[in-house]
Amino acid sequence: MKSRPVVMEHYHKVHTTYVVDFTFINNITFLTGDSGQGKSAVFSFFEEDAARNPQLLCFNYLDWRKDIAHTIADAEGKLIVVDNADLLLTDEMRKHIALDVKNQYLLIGRDPRNLYATKDNIFELVSERKGEKTEFRIEAFE
Amino acid sequence: MIRVYKNRNDIPEDMEYIQLNDIYFNETTCDMLDERAKDIIRKIDSSELISKYKIRTRFGDDILNIDKISSGCKTVLNVLYNPDKAFWLLDCGENALEVLMGIEKGNVFSETPMLPFELSPVEAYTAGNSRIIDDYEELKEWWRHEE
Repeated sequence: MKSRPVVMEHYHKVHTTYVVDFTFINNITFLTGDSGQGKSAVFSFFEEDAARNPQLLCFNYLDWRKDIAHTIADAEGKLIVVDNADLLLTDEMRKHIALDVKNQYLLIGRDPRNLYATKDNIFELVSERKGEKTEFRIEAFE
Repeated sequence: MIRVYKNRNDIPEDMEYIQLNDIYFNETTCDMLDERAKDIIRKIDSSELISKYKIRTRFGDDILNIDKISSGCKTVLNVLYNPDKAFWLLDCGENALEVLMGIEKGNVFSETPMLPFELSPVEAYTAGNSRIIDDYEELKEWWRHEE
């Protein structure tokens, strides 16, 4: 499903030697790929930024027992970042996300079912060393 | 050989099922690691286990606590060191699945088909019946078929 990002097209964040530089071309970005690419590390950088950036709302397995369905339903104007999406997102929540025009999503997981996702929504994390820094970007998943 | 459950109810009552691989690894499996873990961490995360609880990552050679290995790697280590328990499979990427399917004995659960292209034989277990499958398409069909 192709739809323009409603909150941000570009995200940039520095965390010591790590740089996150994401360009979003869809409202739902499903980030998948091999283990050990740094996906959860990148999530932790978003989570850190969420402490001061009101556009960000972050969830991971530590929120498993929380009622995130209501939090997401009440949200507006947020980039909602979900690590461990396969664990946290029920089919009902996925259908809500697929039709949500008030928020943008970055979902990290393996199974994009019920998101009406196409290959346009599926991305993988790539990293590149630039001097002492490591930069993370997203690219279409092959 | 890895036994795969696709229905939660098929996991025997006396077998503990672990859904949160990260927490189980951080609390329990991390204390059980031996030489076998080195190879697995290198293969999946391209990180080096430099002492019992420390890794050198491929990102800038940072030295980090072992809790920073990937969830997929933690899942594989959970399965390897706890063959009497069943673990949720969806934390594994393709590279972790390939390593996991080659483990001598262990148990995993996923309703969603999770297949590596390089498939080792697995024991597919449903409703009291098990069969050995070493073919990608056959395993995919088994996983998708409603019993």
